[in-house]
Amino acid sequence: MRPSALTIPAATLVLLCTVACRRDVPEEPSPGTHTTPYSLDLPANFPAPIIPASNPLTQEGIALGRRLYYDTLLSQNGPFQGFACASCHHQPVSFTTPTSGTNVLAHVNLAWSTNFLWNGKVCGTLEDVMRFEVEEFFQVDIAGLNTHPDYPLLFQQAFGADHITTDHVVKALAQWFRRMVSSNSRLDRHLRGEIILTPEEMNGAMTFLSEVGDCFHCHPLPLMTDNGFHNIGLAGSFTGFDVGRYAITGAPMDMGAFKTPTLRNIALTAPYMHDGRFQTLEEVVEFYNSGVQHSASLDPLMTKPGPSLTLGLTPQEKANLVSFLNTLTDETFLTDPALGSPF
Amino acid sequence: MNDHPRPDRPTLTALLPVMVLAVGLHGCAKDDDPAPDPGPPAPAATVTLRLEHHVDGVPLLFDTVLYANEAGHAYAVSHLEYYISGIKLLTADTGDVGPAIPGAFLINAEQGTTFDLGALAPGGYTGVELRLGLTPDLNITGALPNTIANVNMAWPDGMGGGYHFMKFEGHFLNGATPTGYAMHLGRNENLPTCIATADLQLDGSAQTLVLRFNLNEVFRTPHTYDLVSGSYSMGSMMLMGLLRDNCADAFTATMEP
Repeated sequence: MRPSALTIPAATLVLLCTVACRRDVPEEPSPGTHTTPYSLDLPANFPAPIIPASNPLTQEGIALGRRLYYDTLLSQNGPFQGFACASCHHQPVSFTTPTSGTNVLAHVNLAWSTNFLWNGKVCGTLEDVMRFEVEEFFQVDIAGLNTHPDYPLLFQQAFGADHITTDHVVKALAQWFRRMVSSNSRLDRHLRGEIILTPEEMNGAMTFLSEVGDCFHCHPLPLMTDNGFHNIGLAGSFTGFDVGRYAITGAPMDMGAFKTPTLRNIALTAPYMHDGRFQTLEEVVEFYNSGVQHSASLDPLMTKPGPSLTLGLTPQEKANLVSFLNTLTDETFLTDPALGSPF
Repeated sequence: MNDHPRPDRPTLTALLPVMVLAVGLHGCAKDDDPAPDPGPPAPAATVTLRLEHHVDGVPLLFDTVLYANEAGHAYAVSHLEYYISGIKLLTADTGDVGPAIPGAFLINAEQGTTFDLGALAPGGYTGVELRLGLTPDLNITGALPNTIANVNMAWPDGMGGGYHFMKFEGHFLNGATPTGYAMHLGRNENLPTCIATADLQLDGSAQTLVLRFNLNEVFRTPHTYDLVSGSYSMGSMMLMGLLRDNCADAFTATMEP
C-alpha cells in the first residue's frame, strides 16, 4: 500500500518535533551494538578521568585493548618487531621496567594525563598518544589484524567494525590504558580512613605536603603528578635528550624541563629521573635536598626562601620522606589478574 | 455563498509541517496555560565575563617579555593561575552591593579566560567587588568540584587547607642572575578584597564585563614588594599579607557591548 500524501510529511514532522524536544543528545558513540558499558570504580577524591564521548569504556573494548597490549602482533611490521607494550611495561613494577638510558615511564593512571612521553612529544588525549604508538612507534600492521583468525571478531564485538582500522586499534588501546588505575595504596586507604600510617610515614607526609619538602606542588594528591613540565635542576646546562621539552617547543624556558611522573608505586620504579641516574629513593631525596643546580630555566617552584637552593632536611626528615613514598605502593594494582596478560 | 476556494490537498500538505512543528514545539513547554500573559519584561541577555592581563598597559606575554616592577626588578611571567569569587556589582544609586554572582571562577591566564555570568539585572553600577581567591565558604579542602585543575590548586591541610588563591610564577633578574619567584597566595586571612570602580551600564543586551588584572599592582601600593627578599611567598604569612594588601586595586573593570 502506498502511503498517502499526508502520511509522509506528518510522520516526518512528528519525528522532527520529537527531536526538537530532546536535550543535549550526545552523538552516537562508536562501540558495537551489543557492547557492555564499563564504569571505573574510583575513590571519591579522584577527579573524573578524561574519557572522550567518541570512545566510551566498554568491557569488550577494554578486553580487546588488553589483548593488544600484551600481543607482539602489534609490532609485527615495525622496527620493534617481536615486542608488545608489555615487553617493556611489566605489571609487578607498575608497568615499567628497570633500564639504563632513557627511563621507561610507568603506565599508571594515564586516564588523567594530557601530556605524554618525557618531553611531551604528544599532548592531548590517550587516543592521541595511542595513535602515535600505533602509527609511528609500533607501525602496526592493520592488514595483518584484518586477516588474523581472532581479531576481526573481537573488533566487530567491540566497535561493530566490519573492517579493522587504525582508529579502532587506537580506541581499544586507549580504553585499556584508562582501565589501568592505581587507587588502593596505603596512602589511599589512609585517606579513606581504612588504616593509619605509621608515625614515620605521617611525618614524611608532613614534609612532603609542606614547604619543608615542597614536593606537593608538582606531585599533588591524589594523582601525585601535576601533569606539567619542570626543569628541576638536574644540570646547569643541557644537551641531547636532556634538553627535554625544549626539543618540542623551542622555548628557552622549557630547556631541561620534563614531564612530572606520578609517584604512584615509586618505590618499585627505579631507576629515577628521565635518564635513570638515581638508583634509590634515598638518592632522589638527597638530590632535592642538596643537589639542585641553577640554570636560567630552573623552575620557579625549585626556588626556596633565601638564596640557597637546598632544603636543609635532617637525616630523620629524609628517612621520613622515603617512608612516605613507600606508602604509594599499590599491591592491588600490581597483582590484579585483570590487569595481567590474557594469554 | 462561500467565495473562498476550498484548499486543495497539496496546500494543506504544505501547511501541515508548520502546524505540526508548532504543536511539537509547544509540547516542549513546561507551562501549558493557553492564556497569553505578557508577564515581566524579557529577561536580560547573558553577560560574559572576560579576564585580561597586563603590566601597566602592556599585554601579558609569558616567558618572553621582561617587565619592570615598583622595586626596579625586571621580571618575566611563566605561570598565572587564580580564582575569583564573591563577585558583586555595586549599585549606582546607593553604593550598596547589588547583584551577586555566585560561585568561583578559576582563571589560567594562558588558557581560556571567558566565562558566562548568566543574566544580570539591567541598570547602572558604580563598579565591581570581587575576591582574588576563594570566599571562606569555598576555601575548604574538597569544597570545589573535584576536577584536575582544582586538585592542582589544593592548599595542603597541614598548611591550613583549602586551595591556592593564586599562583603567580616566573623569573626575575637578581643582579644579572635569572632567579625564580613563586608568589603563592592562600588561607582565609590573606584573601584580597578587590574593588574596581567604574561606570558600568548594563542595558540587557549581550554585554561583556571585562576585568583587567594589572600584575604590577601585586608589587606596589601600599607595599613595595621586593622579590629578592620575598621570592617565595607560600609559608610566609608576612609575605602573603603584603600580596593581599597590594592586590586590592589590581583590577579595573569596563563593560563592552
